[in-house]
Amino acid sequence: MVQYSYFPGCNLKTNAKGFEETAIAVSKKLNVELVEIPNWNCCGTVHTMTSDNIMKRIAPVRVLSRSKKHIETLEESPNQVVTLCSMCNSTLKIVSKEVSDNQDTLDKINYQLEDDELTYENDIEVKHFLEILRDSVGYEGISKKVVKPLKGLKVSPYYGCMLLHPEEAKIDDEEMPDVLESLVESLGAELVMSPLFKYCCGSYHIVDQENIVSSQVEKIVEAATRRGANALVVACPLCSYNIDQQQKAMAKESAGFKPIPIFYFTQLMALAMGEPVKINHFKEHFINPEPLLKELGLIGRKKTK
Amino acid sequence: MSKTETKKENALPTVKIYIMGSAHEVPESLTIMKAMEYAGFKIKRGAGCRAGFCGACGTVYRKAGDYRLYAALACQTQVEDGMVLTQLPFIPAPKGIYDIDTLQPTESSILRYYPEVARCLSCNACSKVCPQDIQVMDFVQYSLQGQIDKAAEVSFDCVQCGLCAIRCPAEIPQYHVGMLARRLHGKYNTSTPETLLERVEEIENGTFEQGFEELLSLSKDGLKKRYTERDFVDQKKA
Repeated sequence: MVQYSYFPGCNLKTNAKGFEETAIAVSKKLNVELVEIPNWNCCGTVHTMTSDNIMKRIAPVRVLSRSKKHIETLEESPNQVVTLCSMCNSTLKIVSKEVSDNQDTLDKINYQLEDDELTYENDIEVKHFLEILRDSVGYEGISKKVVKPLKGLKVSPYYGCMLLHPEEAKIDDEEMPDVLESLVESLGAELVMSPLFKYCCGSYHIVDQENIVSSQVEKIVEAATRRGANALVVACPLCSYNIDQQQKAMAKESAGFKPIPIFYFTQLMALAMGEPVKINHFKEHFINPEPLLKELGLIGRKKTK
Repeated sequence: MSKTETKKENALPTVKIYIMGSAHEVPESLTIMKAMEYAGFKIKRGAGCRAGFCGACGTVYRKAGDYRLYAALACQTQVEDGMVLTQLPFIPAPKGIYDIDTLQPTESSILRYYPEVARCLSCNACSKVCPQDIQVMDFVQYSLQGQIDKAAEVSFDCVQCGLCAIRCPAEIPQYHVGMLARRLHGKYNTSTPETLLERVEEIENGTFEQGFEELLSLSKDGLKKRYTERDFVDQKKA
């Protein structure tokens, strides 16, 4: 078993428990076990990312150092810290690049980390779990573990901004990505391409300008459903929250609006690999995917009753 | 003229310390708290248990030739030659007023009363200053992550001295956050111990009233006698 040092980020412990639990379950199945860093701190994304504010870089660099120490305790662990959240992935990658390009910045940060014996040596690579799946496991390896192909599920990949931007953080081609597409196909689901695959979900405007988010979400969902999608697949807890929660509000307002469920890519994997449904935490979704999954016979059709 | 030439008859080796800037010659074996009293200060607010448990005597100091700012509990720390110190017996920090019965053991309860937790820069200045050697930043982060059980566990030894709060660039009152985490954990994540329920029932049934009445009826001398003759053996079991 290859073990990876896994950095969850706060959302995976709060709003996206189903994302984390399914990811850990499938990681074990695929021999790339995600092992959580014992004491981790915020990736730093909530702080301003202005590059001259070095103090706000302490959090992400501390994450990299703690991960490095964690790796020393793991089995066959490559020098990589793995994230699930697109935003953590983006923040850690940006900062990791920045300190490797700028020794002076790193020295100043390390000066603050000295007392904790956590100085960072530029020796960790940041990876999103999708990159591990694509580059280390491979889609074929994933297909092999599928016991219940997701027949009837018409999934439209939604990347949001953070997986594909900026340059130093992207995990795939920013105009023609195919990682989510290939993954969806390897699970036996039908792929539905949408031109709004990275149209902004409205992001933090959810805090005080909900109308901006709802107008974005309406377009994203409409573009997918018009092309026949009955589900969206995402990798970002904030995109997921915005789309999921806004759809519920819109469905309430207009009877004509038909919401579709949102899945994290690891939830689709767990379903296809026959993991227990419980670990998806579907009850915490605003648009519950269970009716659709039942209709398609993907869950709850056990004849053992 | 010389203020420091006191207690000449004292043969104990002494050190020179600076309390709020003024020099005092004090026996080197004293704690900061006793040294302050030796120097003539009457401590009203910054002392409590004098045994390292109440957290009332937070003190900050620097040492001769050392740029660092140190912190300690005055009752637990011995003076050193050249120490420059002051007590901080009270830290102004916002304290949430909440009804624990109406909350949930989640990060949103923490953020509702202490939203500044989200400003944590992970600089760890709080852990470095903690006289109890608590990993303060870690429990703040656990609180933010909704891992209330871990936050409660890591903050368990906190004595609420508040020194962490004065070092925090994000202006978080960490010690209040830890208290809320422990209350949430105690209320929602752990079961009520049976022995506690039994004891509460005993109290409510008036089991101890007679004993209290007896004590309350004693004169001062009678109380003193009872106190000096007390033992901790359970008479019923003995």
